[in-house]
Amino acid sequence: MFERTQNLKLSVIKQMELRASKFPDVISLAQGVPSFDTPECVKRRVERAMRDGVTAKYSLSPGLPELRELVEQKLAEENMFYDFEKEIIVTAGSIEGITATIMAITNPGDEIIIPEPTYTSYREVIILAGCTPVFVPLNEEKGWALELEKYEAAITSKTKAIFYCNPNNPTGTIYTEEQLRQLAKLAEKYNLYLISDEVYKDFIFERLAERKKIFSLAEIPELRKRVIRLFSFSKSYAMTGWRVGYLHSDESIVKEILKVHDSLVTCAPVVSQYAAMGALEMAEKDIAHFRREYQKRRDLICARLDKFKNVFEYVQPTSAYYVFPKIIKKDISFGSYDCPDSLSWKFALYLLEKAQVAVVPGVAFGPNGEDHVRMSFGRSEKDINRAMDRLEKLFL
Amino acid sequence: MKSFFKIILQYYLKYITKLVLFIHQPIVIAVAGSTNKTFARDEIKKILLASGKSVRANPRNFNTEIGLPLAILNIRSGYNSYRDWLPVIAAAFAAIFQKNFPEYLVLELGVSRRGDMKYLLSIVNPKISVITDITQRYLEAFSDMDGLVGEYAYLVKNTKKDGVVILNYDNFRVRVLSEKAKARVEYFGKGAGAVWKISEITKTEKGQMIKVEHQNKIQNYSSARFGEHHAYALTAALAAEEALEK
Repeated sequence: MFERTQNLKLSVIKQMELRASKFPDVISLAQGVPSFDTPECVKRRVERAMRDGVTAKYSLSPGLPELRELVEQKLAEENMFYDFEKEIIVTAGSIEGITATIMAITNPGDEIIIPEPTYTSYREVIILAGCTPVFVPLNEEKGWALELEKYEAAITSKTKAIFYCNPNNPTGTIYTEEQLRQLAKLAEKYNLYLISDEVYKDFIFERLAERKKIFSLAEIPELRKRVIRLFSFSKSYAMTGWRVGYLHSDESIVKEILKVHDSLVTCAPVVSQYAAMGALEMAEKDIAHFRREYQKRRDLICARLDKFKNVFEYVQPTSAYYVFPKIIKKDISFGSYDCPDSLSWKFALYLLEKAQVAVVPGVAFGPNGEDHVRMSFGRSEKDINRAMDRLEKLFL
Repeated sequence: MKSFFKIILQYYLKYITKLVLFIHQPIVIAVAGSTNKTFARDEIKKILLASGKSVRANPRNFNTEIGLPLAILNIRSGYNSYRDWLPVIAAAFAAIFQKNFPEYLVLELGVSRRGDMKYLLSIVNPKISVITDITQRYLEAFSDMDGLVGEYAYLVKNTKKDGVVILNYDNFRVRVLSEKAKARVEYFGKGAGAVWKISEITKTEKGQMIKVEHQNKIQNYSSARFGEHHAYALTAALAAEEALEK
């Protein structure tokens, strides 16, 4: 019984949220949810679609053609050229796209390499597909960089893909173009797919923002039969509840992914597809506003963390809305907690119990995330300040 | 309040735009259709720019009763903010005195409601009109396909007599719009009746090679874009370029 699900785990983030909900005055820096509401222009677009009576029926399985055409235009602005009719699928959030992709490109028993720490749900999807996640650690001392020799060493005859998140959750760091091109060389050498989850691509701070965009391997035409790129409207447009995203790759891959997508969800929620159209048509200003706010919050949380020199050390995030500090204070006497034997778990529960601040244990993001916690600065400045005030009381 | 403001704004922009068009007398190339109009618009703009002409086209999807005047006047939108519309209103007035107005306007015309095309054509008077495709997209606001097709027929009928109507030969609904035209008609597409005929599309690692047959000559074009619709956009643009030269 339950053979397929017995090795799956409920997301640690959800587990922390569940535990946090028992503390009435908790401040949660755990969940990666934007504090903003969906932009007004998106809501207006949805209202119009509902008034027109076009949201009640299924769309074509790959999505509304008008949305996919907009996606093609948007991708072209970012130097990525894909055919909206055959190479783009609108998905029910990126996680459904990830699931459909992995189910399509793998066979049970295959291995997928994941640079870690990274987003918790990748592991579960890979296991669900009957495959094995192979974690390869990022180098924290080099700003959570990819180290190619480690990837080559991890490749076996069963390896099917390398699956990375860029900008990376939970570290808030970006892989350099050079690192990614090296990864692509490996993929070509060993005939691997590259799955690139770029849901935080719109939140890039400081100097990098001058370039306006991160480099994506999906920009290289020669790699289009290897790279499957995913995007979600959840973070960029504060639309986590709408469950809509898209993926794109070469036609030869997308036609296979489409079969799985169709069997999983038939189509992405149509009302959300209209919301996505509103977002692409009109919400550019809102993204810019969110980016500025997240940068302010990043500066705030880092300034506050700097006071905890004997508790944390961290790599300053350059993107997304997470900071991933390492716990350097080891002389804490933790209580007896119902949790795995892990410093990051105990530390997270200690913060929850003593300060009523919820964070995510770093081990949730892979073995290399142990000894860290993830703090989200997607929350308001007020929440960040209140959480840090409580930590100051606890540690300083 | 919002809809009242929108109506005032819409007519303010319309009459300023008409005045600007009267002053500068640009040649208008209209691009309409259910799909592929943005790519066709971009292709026409690219070809005209490459031949050294001064061109302005809609930014993004500025193709509606408010968006079209903004596109012609080359000013940004205030979207949903009264405050953001104030500088736009001032910029629209200042646009009357714009210098270096382009010689050509390549304008995508968006249709989603009955009467949309009539309204847009009360602002612009196209010399060249391109209809890329007609599908059931945006059908919801019309009682049937005839109602939707009627919008495009209005454009065909109202294209200047000394101009050219360029139609997608492969879409029956588009093809038969030629019956409404007062101007000369040219066809593009894959079908045998297309004057600008897509004779072969070959997908390559870096894009597509497109063979276009016109007056018994075959020309090869390469594109970094993928998808058959780009071949249609290309042939529509080549037809528009030639129409302007004649």
